[in-house]
Amino acid sequence: MKVNMARYEAASSASVDFLDRNREPPLHPTNNRTISSPQFALSLRKGSLTMFSRSVLRSFASDLRFAAPSSISAAPFPQRACLHQTAWLRTTQTQSHSAIPDTPLGAIPRVQDTQPSTPTSTPNTTTPQTDADFPNAKKPVAPSFDAPIEVTKSLMSTLPHLVGQSPHYVVAELHARPFLLTEGDHLRLPFLMPNVKPGDVLRFNRASAVGSRDFTLKGSPHVDERLFECRVRVTGTESEPLRIKEKTKRRQRHTKTAKSKHRYTIMRVMEVRVKTPEELLEEGAVVVEDTEDTPKVEARS
Amino acid sequence: MFPGSFPVGVRKPCKWVNLKNTSITTMPVKAIKTISSARNGVGAFILQCKRLDFHYCNFGGSSRGMLSFLTKDLAAFAREHPQIEIRVSPRPAKHPVIKGHYINGHEKAICVRNLEPSEIMKKTNILKEANGEKLKRTKKPVTSLNESVRGIWSPYHGDLRGV
Repeated sequence: MKVNMARYEAASSASVDFLDRNREPPLHPTNNRTISSPQFALSLRKGSLTMFSRSVLRSFASDLRFAAPSSISAAPFPQRACLHQTAWLRTTQTQSHSAIPDTPLGAIPRVQDTQPSTPTSTPNTTTPQTDADFPNAKKPVAPSFDAPIEVTKSLMSTLPHLVGQSPHYVVAELHARPFLLTEGDHLRLPFLMPNVKPGDVLRFNRASAVGSRDFTLKGSPHVDERLFECRVRVTGTESEPLRIKEKTKRRQRHTKTAKSKHRYTIMRVMEVRVKTPEELLEEGAVVVEDTEDTPKVEARS
Repeated sequence: MFPGSFPVGVRKPCKWVNLKNTSITTMPVKAIKTISSARNGVGAFILQCKRLDFHYCNFGGSSRGMLSFLTKDLAAFAREHPQIEIRVSPRPAKHPVIKGHYINGHEKAICVRNLEPSEIMKKTNILKEANGEKLKRTKKPVTSLNESVRGIWSPYHGDLRGV
């Protein structure tokens, strides 16, 4: 079958979640995510105006940008686009977009209170129609958390500033290596990632910082993965030119040559975004009082 | 006064610049051209390999594995990848070769002489997943077309910092 493993669990501290391979993620911010400008202006008036004067302008500019029609079709060549997922194409194109869940996977309340549904055994001859048809080992693993995310009041009040500034970056960590990513970046991993195919969508869930031009949300050591979304698409593998190392021993005419040609996974960053406080509350975030070691959005001095 | 010359104080009409018509108001406003660059995979994703050519020899012993690959495994591979055009053609008295053709116009060829069908499948997958670019040694993992999110540091802006 075309669909392979569901989760790539790295041996080290980094882990990548396989999420929603069959779903195009929302490419453009929808209206419910953007902050309506009067509300935003109000929250800014409460804050110190001197510090945010530049960000006010910028956030209004970004609001205007969001207000502009942004429903550009994502697929310029529908006949060639997404053909890599042929099995999926055959099943879902007939149903048009009904297979796309109405809520993104990130927006599902993350507290897993039930056991994952057991897959129904289907004969191999049919192509899988729904999510339930995939074997359990190949499904994206819903992250299980013991408790809903706790967000402090100060974070809730400062998060709109970060969300409102449009281009975001994320310092995603993979195998304890940081990669500073923005949307549309090309990423060549320093290794060949097993069990991925071109076209797969991964979600990087470990980040040490998420930020925009003036604001940064730093993690200690990591930002909670429910605060942001960073998706990448595997576009293939690349290899380096052949390396030839000459190995010599003393008093021997013979020279041994050691050859190596490593292969690397190449990816494209599809999406980097920070969730709004409203989204967090929808997902069941709990607002708590401030403590010492809670994440804060830091403004640039 | 020489014949043909102009009297002092009268400006010689210039051939190229007509001063009458130039003024600031009529100067056209030029927009800065933005060239959109293709970033495969951000929205839609298109596999870069568009064609695979399989060359074999009916007589040669080095094509034995290739022949069994063509008869047994290639049909399934082609069915799984309808976006890749597959051509099979004989190349008598030569070693078997797989050639990949890519969207960027490049071509990659792998010689598969004396290889088993399973090994040939691996080579085929290498060609399928490649992007057709020339092999390069890069040290930076991330290449970005976006301008820096946080801007370029300037010594003239921002607060003074005590050491």
